[in-house]
Amino acid sequence: MMLSQAKAGHKAIIQEITGNEKLKKFLFSLGCSEGQEIGLISILAGNYIINIKDSRYAIDRKMAEIIRIN
Amino acid sequence: MKIALAGNPNSGKTTLFNAITGKTEYVGNWPGVTVEKKEAFLKTKYQISKSKVRIVDLPGAYSIAPYTGEEAITRDFVTGEKPDVIINIIDANSLERSLFFTTQLLELEIPVVIALNKQDVLKRHGDVIDSVRLGALLNCKVVETVANKGKGVRRLIEDAIEAASMKSIHTSPDLDFSIVSDEDNARQKFTGMIAQECHVSNRDTNDISLSDRLDRIVAHKWLGLPIFFLVMWAVYAFSIEGLGGFLSEYLNETVFGEIVPNAANAFFEGIDVNPLLQSLIVDGAIGGVGAVIGFLPLIMVLFFCLGLLEDSGYMSRVAVVMDRFFKKIGLSGKSIIPMIVGSGCAIPGVMATRTIEDINEKRMTTILTPFVPCGAKIPIIALFSAVFFPNASWVGPSMYLLAIVMIALGGLLLKKIFVWENTSIFLIELPEYKIPSVRHAITQMLKHAKGFIIKASTIILVMNTLVWFMQAYGWNLRPVTIQDASILASFGGIISPLLIPLGFVGWQLAAAILTGFVAKENVVATFAVLLAVASEDALYLPGGVLSGIFNPVTGYAFLAFNLFTPPCFAAIGAMNSELGSKKWLFRAIGFQLGVGYMVAMLISQIGSIIVYGETAIGFGYSIVVLVSIVFLVIRLIRKSDSNVKQVLTEAREGGI
Repeated sequence: MMLSQAKAGHKAIIQEITGNEKLKKFLFSLGCSEGQEIGLISILAGNYIINIKDSRYAIDRKMAEIIRIN
Repeated sequence: MKIALAGNPNSGKTTLFNAITGKTEYVGNWPGVTVEKKEAFLKTKYQISKSKVRIVDLPGAYSIAPYTGEEAITRDFVTGEKPDVIINIIDANSLERSLFFTTQLLELEIPVVIALNKQDVLKRHGDVIDSVRLGALLNCKVVETVANKGKGVRRLIEDAIEAASMKSIHTSPDLDFSIVSDEDNARQKFTGMIAQECHVSNRDTNDISLSDRLDRIVAHKWLGLPIFFLVMWAVYAFSIEGLGGFLSEYLNETVFGEIVPNAANAFFEGIDVNPLLQSLIVDGAIGGVGAVIGFLPLIMVLFFCLGLLEDSGYMSRVAVVMDRFFKKIGLSGKSIIPMIVGSGCAIPGVMATRTIEDINEKRMTTILTPFVPCGAKIPIIALFSAVFFPNASWVGPSMYLLAIVMIALGGLLLKKIFVWENTSIFLIELPEYKIPSVRHAITQMLKHAKGFIIKASTIILVMNTLVWFMQAYGWNLRPVTIQDASILASFGGIISPLLIPLGFVGWQLAAAILTGFVAKENVVATFAVLLAVASEDALYLPGGVLSGIFNPVTGYAFLAFNLFTPPCFAAIGAMNSELGSKKWLFRAIGFQLGVGYMVAMLISQIGSIIVYGETAIGFGYSIVVLVSIVFLVIRLIRKSDSNVKQVLTEAREGGI
C-alpha cells in the first residue's frame, strides 16, 4: 500500500518510490528509498510525520502517495 | 588557508562558524537558515601559525547533487573553489543520513575532517558513537564537538589546519559494486555498514518522543493555527505595546523629546551659533535620528523574542501547520519561513525563499514576503498608534492580521493573473525541540541593536540632514520663511496629487513616503524633522502635531500604505536577485504598489464614510482609480485565462 493509507505507528520497509527522478534522488539522499525502513509517527494537519534513519520529517499527502510500503 | 564548513542542514555549521570567528551570523533551529556562503577570519585565539585562516560557512546540503538553490551554492564552492580543507559537520544524532554527503565529500580530493557535533544530545539519548572506529573506517580525522558550548572546537581546528598543510588526501571510500551496480546504492550500503559498526543505540527512534507529543499539540489540525496566532500576538504585543513600547515611550518622550534637545538648544544658545546651524543639528540630526533611535528598545525586545522562538524548533512546525492553508493559494508550508524571517527584516526573508524548490512558489513567496511588517516598519506603526490610538492595543496586531489577509488575497490574485500548476511537494525536517538559549537570544538582540544604531547614525542621519536642508532652503539656495516654498515641498508636490484619492493631502506625506524607500525608519524621521518646525511638542504625544495632516482613519490608511507598497531599496535589491529577471521584478513592484495603493484607498474612503459619515477628500478620484484598477485586473485575468486555454488546446491537438 501507499504510505498515505497507513496508520500512525506503522513501521514498514519501502518497496518503491514513484515520481520524478529529481525528487527520487533527493529522497534517496535522505535515506528514503527502496529497501529502507520507514516509520509513520503521526498524521498532523494533513501532513505525515515520518521517521527515516533517526530523523523526523513532515511530508504532505502528495508525497506520501508516492511512497509504496509493505 | 581556506577552511570550508559543510554538512547537512541544521547540523550546526553556523554555530561552529560563529564560535571560531567571533561573528554573530544568523542561527536558528530549523533546516535552511543559512542560504548563502559567509566568510570570516579565524579568531586569533584558535590561530596556530601566523598565516591567516579564512573560514567559509556554506548552506546545508543533504547531497552534493543539489535539490534547491542554496544547496547549489555549496556544491559550486566545494567543487569550484577548492578549499584547503573541508570540515564536515555531522549531527551525531543522524549519523547514517549524514554519511551519505560525507562519502561524497571524501571523493573530492580535498582533505576532510569530521566534526561529530551535538554530542550532548547524543549522550542524553543514551547513544554511543565510536569516533575512533568511524575515523578508521572513513580514513579521516573525527573530532567530537558540542559547537554551541565550544567543546572540542580547538582540537577540531588544529586537526583541520594540520590536514590542510599535510594535504592529506583520502583514499575514496571503497564502495562495493558487487551486489548493486549504481553508485548511489553502493554508497547507501557503505554508509549503512559504517553506521552499524560505529553506532550503538538502545532506543527505537520510531518510539513516540516528547518532541512528538508536543508536535501533536502545536501542529494539531484545529489547535495549530490558534496556537501560532497566539504566539505571534504575544511576541508583538510584548514588543510593541508591552516592555518594548514602555521603554521606547520613555526614550522618545523624555530623553529625545525633552532632555537631549533642551540640553542641545541651551548649549547652542550659550555659545551663540547661527540659528540655522542650531536648527540643522537639533531639528535635523538630533530630532530625526533621535526619533528613530527612540524605538531601539522596541526593536531589541522584538529580536530577543524572535531569537527565543527561532532557537526552540517551533519554526519547522509552523511550516507544517500552514502548509494546508498555503496550498490553497498556490504556495506550501515552506513559504511561511521566509515570512517569519521577514518579520525581522525583509532582506534575509526574501533570501530565505532559496530553500523553495518550485520556481513559481518561490516567486510568489518573494513577492508576498515584504508584506509582513519588518523591524523597520515597526517604528511607524508604534508612532501612529501612539498619536492616533492612545490606549488602544489592537493597532499593532491588526497590522499583522491585515498582512496575513493580504498575503492570502494577494496569493489568490497572483495565482489568477499568473496561472501556474501547483507541482510543489512539501517536505521539511523537524528538529528536536530544545529549551531556547537566552544567550542566543541576547546575541541576536545585540546584533540587531548594533545594526539599528549603525543604520540610524549613517544612512538615516544623511537622509535627515538632506531632508532638513531641502525643507529649509528654496531653489535659490536661500533659507525659506515657509516650508511650502522649499525644495522638498516642490519634490513632494510632484507626487502628492497621486495620493489625493487615498485621502492624503500635503507634500509632507509624499516626502515621507519617498524617503521611506531608502529606509522605512526614514518615514518617522522625516515627519520628526518636518514637524519640529511646526511645533515644540514631541512627535509622539497623543493627538500631537501629526494630527495636523492625518485623522485616525487616514493615519491608519497611511500605515497600511507603508506596509504593502514596495519595501526599501535594499529589500528590492534582494527581490531582484531572487527573482532573477527584470520582468518579474517589475511585476513584483507593480503588484506591491497596486496592493498598497488599493488597500490604503479603501481604508481611507470606506473608513471615513463609516467613522465620520462623510467621504474623505478625493472620493471622486478614488472611484475612478478603483474602476480602472478593477478593469485592469479583470483584463489581466482574462488574458491569462485565454493563454491557458490556448496552451491546453495546443496540447490536445498535439496529443492527437
